[in-house]
Amino acid sequence: MTQVRKLAYGEKSEPAYDVRLAMQEAARCLLCIDAPCSQDCPVGTNPSKFIRSIRFRNFKGAAKTIRENNILGASCGKICPQERLCEKGCSRCGIDKPIQIGRLQSFAMEQEKIFGMKVLEKAPSCGKKVACIGAGPSSLGAAAELAKRGVAVTIFDENKEPGGLLRYGITPSRLDDATIDQDIAAIKELGVTFEQNHKVSREEVAELAKKFDAVYVGVGLSTSKVLKFVKGWDKQGVDTALNFLKNARVKNGQIGDLGKVVIIGGGDVAMDCASTAKQLGAKSVNVVFIETMEEMPASKKELDYITELGVPVLPFFKPLEIKGESKVEAISFASMDDESQVTFKADTVIFAVGQAPTEGFADLKQDGNIFLGGDMVVSRGRTVVESVQSGKEAAFAIADFLKI
Amino acid sequence: MKKVDLSIDFLGVHCENPFFLSSSPVCHNYEMISKAFDAGWGGVFYKTVGVFIADECSPRFDTHRKEGTPFIGFKNMEQISEYSWQENAEIIKKLKKDYPTKVMGVSIMGSNEEEWALLAREMTKAGADILELNFSCPQMTSHAMGSDVGQNTELVEKYTRIVCENTHVPVIAKMTPNITHIEVPSIAAKKGGAAAVSAINTIKSICGIDVENMCGRPVVNGVSSISGYSGAAVKPIALRFIAQLKQHPELQGFPVSGIGGVETWQDAVEFLLLGAENIQVTTAVMQYGYRIVEDLKEGLAFFMEEHGYTSLRDFIGKAVPNIIPCENLDRSFQIVPKIDYDKCVGCGRCYTSCFDGSHQAIDWDADKHRPTITDRCVGCHLCLNVCPVKDCITPGEIKFKKGKEAHEVKIQHDFDYLP
Repeated sequence: MTQVRKLAYGEKSEPAYDVRLAMQEAARCLLCIDAPCSQDCPVGTNPSKFIRSIRFRNFKGAAKTIRENNILGASCGKICPQERLCEKGCSRCGIDKPIQIGRLQSFAMEQEKIFGMKVLEKAPSCGKKVACIGAGPSSLGAAAELAKRGVAVTIFDENKEPGGLLRYGITPSRLDDATIDQDIAAIKELGVTFEQNHKVSREEVAELAKKFDAVYVGVGLSTSKVLKFVKGWDKQGVDTALNFLKNARVKNGQIGDLGKVVIIGGGDVAMDCASTAKQLGAKSVNVVFIETMEEMPASKKELDYITELGVPVLPFFKPLEIKGESKVEAISFASMDDESQVTFKADTVIFAVGQAPTEGFADLKQDGNIFLGGDMVVSRGRTVVESVQSGKEAAFAIADFLKI
Repeated sequence: MKKVDLSIDFLGVHCENPFFLSSSPVCHNYEMISKAFDAGWGGVFYKTVGVFIADECSPRFDTHRKEGTPFIGFKNMEQISEYSWQENAEIIKKLKKDYPTKVMGVSIMGSNEEEWALLAREMTKAGADILELNFSCPQMTSHAMGSDVGQNTELVEKYTRIVCENTHVPVIAKMTPNITHIEVPSIAAKKGGAAAVSAINTIKSICGIDVENMCGRPVVNGVSSISGYSGAAVKPIALRFIAQLKQHPELQGFPVSGIGGVETWQDAVEFLLLGAENIQVTTAVMQYGYRIVEDLKEGLAFFMEEHGYTSLRDFIGKAVPNIIPCENLDRSFQIVPKIDYDKCVGCGRCYTSCFDGSHQAIDWDADKHRPTITDRCVGCHLCLNVCPVKDCITPGEIKFKKGKEAHEVKIQHDFDYLP
């Protein structure tokens, strides 16, 4: 009989390496020259260097290497799809399996915390000030990069706590608050100030552009898409992925009985919805998506994770109709080749079929001292690490614009 | 991190950091040493220059392996430089010109008085900042050179004196561990005028036998030879020799350059704590490259920052007084280990080792797979050392022997200790 893993909401999905395990893993590293792992990171992190530092017991140096390069180093260690980035190129794949780079990164970042390291210090002021809208990955990336150049950065964000998608769009089992807070603390060390609970409207962007030398808009794709061609999409019991995940996070999992859950979508967000629903005690959880297994966008790590939790997936099926009176009772699907149909009994249906720009910001264009970046224009909801890089690049453009 | 000063004046020579390549295959030409300097090494001891020119065998290296790890010991059959002293002098001159702030130590080896004098003069002329006398290579093809000389106090003193008479730079005698008391030839070197000793050179070894060829490894056309062993495995032996040098009454204040199995900054700190003022590395460089100096330097700097040290001299030698004769140890107590059952995976390694290797002081619950430490425990800590889980078995209650008064006892930190 297959054993299904039980995991409470918020319980860590992967145990952290202690120093012995980290040394064992680092000793597996081939310490390659021109290491392929160091060529595949969107934000240019150098795993070969920090793994070598771990191998030679320079744990603090490993943390320094990561933090200097990636302001969200602690978070990325836990949530990056390493198997299609740094680990993909790992030379060790030619022998057995790649080095667990993400877990080594998390080990290194744990040292930063243990030792109370302050890798980044506030730079002398350059006399400029920039507003960043949104406190998600790209905005944080931009803010940190600008602060390193002595810019006084203020982040405006609608949520209670900074982090954006990191905090509200990813399950706490994969990314806990303490890890996000560690990254945020590093940004605060640089002198960045946060104005939380401040939702910036489209109109306010222009005002900020007058008050600040430049404005960075990194509001991301905060609206979950709904497939309105599916009949019954507006019934009670239909939710969107981001809303579902955020609600669960804010209420620490106390969101009532989910009953039978069907999730539509095959990406990482859908996987997070599935694990969350399972952890919150749903009677059953099914994930259905239109892609084939080969094409499904979720990382293998996330798919394996929900499989371990006992969630079945059904590829190559499109949603037809959500049935029920006012409330969801069932949902029907047809195979993409229209050969067969299937109906699931359901109390909750969650659309995890991609995100749309934040309301009012869809048509915003880069103009004058207003700069755009992140998921909204560049990374398109792919990975956190790509958003950080996009924010960093926008910061370089802003720095050029401000001539600093 | 604040900028931490890793520099040290060693024998009056300013070194930007204590990390030097030891005289060996890792530093025998210009390209190698310039790359090493660019990588951040503070200096080198240039591969031994002689009038004798080495003719080497193939293969010439072998390794001592341990399951699942990179090799821990290394056997080397190379001798001294394959170039003439004149060629080497040119290389040294160019390095000194191109890297004026780096320290050029030059290792030399003669087979008679004339050769030692000549090499001393010529290498000093070429720009050596320090001369190191190789009295210790264990695989020379001549008995007039190498460790056979290093075991002979008269020759050590005589050759050291001749070198000192022919140079104005500080002279270090490199000692062999293939001897019972390394202090004896070291005292001879000091009498001869040496400013310091370096220790240890490699240990005579046979790394293993090729059982099909019925021959030691490396197999050189069906046979092999005893030669020098180095790497992580020799560190414990090197530390012991250094402690003995630092503690000998006739060698008080006599500097030591430490050599033997340094891979990490932590290894280096251990050598420094035992009084070494300079650190030499070869095997780890052969295994991993010059780049290891990045983590040696950074790790050492972090260590110093953490402990509030502003100079290497703040802690050099601090462990020397804490190595004492066995007869002087406090034997009034037993530290009974404690087991953290939340961490225990029930492998029974502690039970097996305690029963078969110590005092049968662990009971084993076969149903629950759970060890319990009993009153028979003598506090040897074999269980703690074999336990595969970090922090599962740790030092626990301190029990004083009958009639002994309770007092404060310092506890050892775990090897993988982190605060």
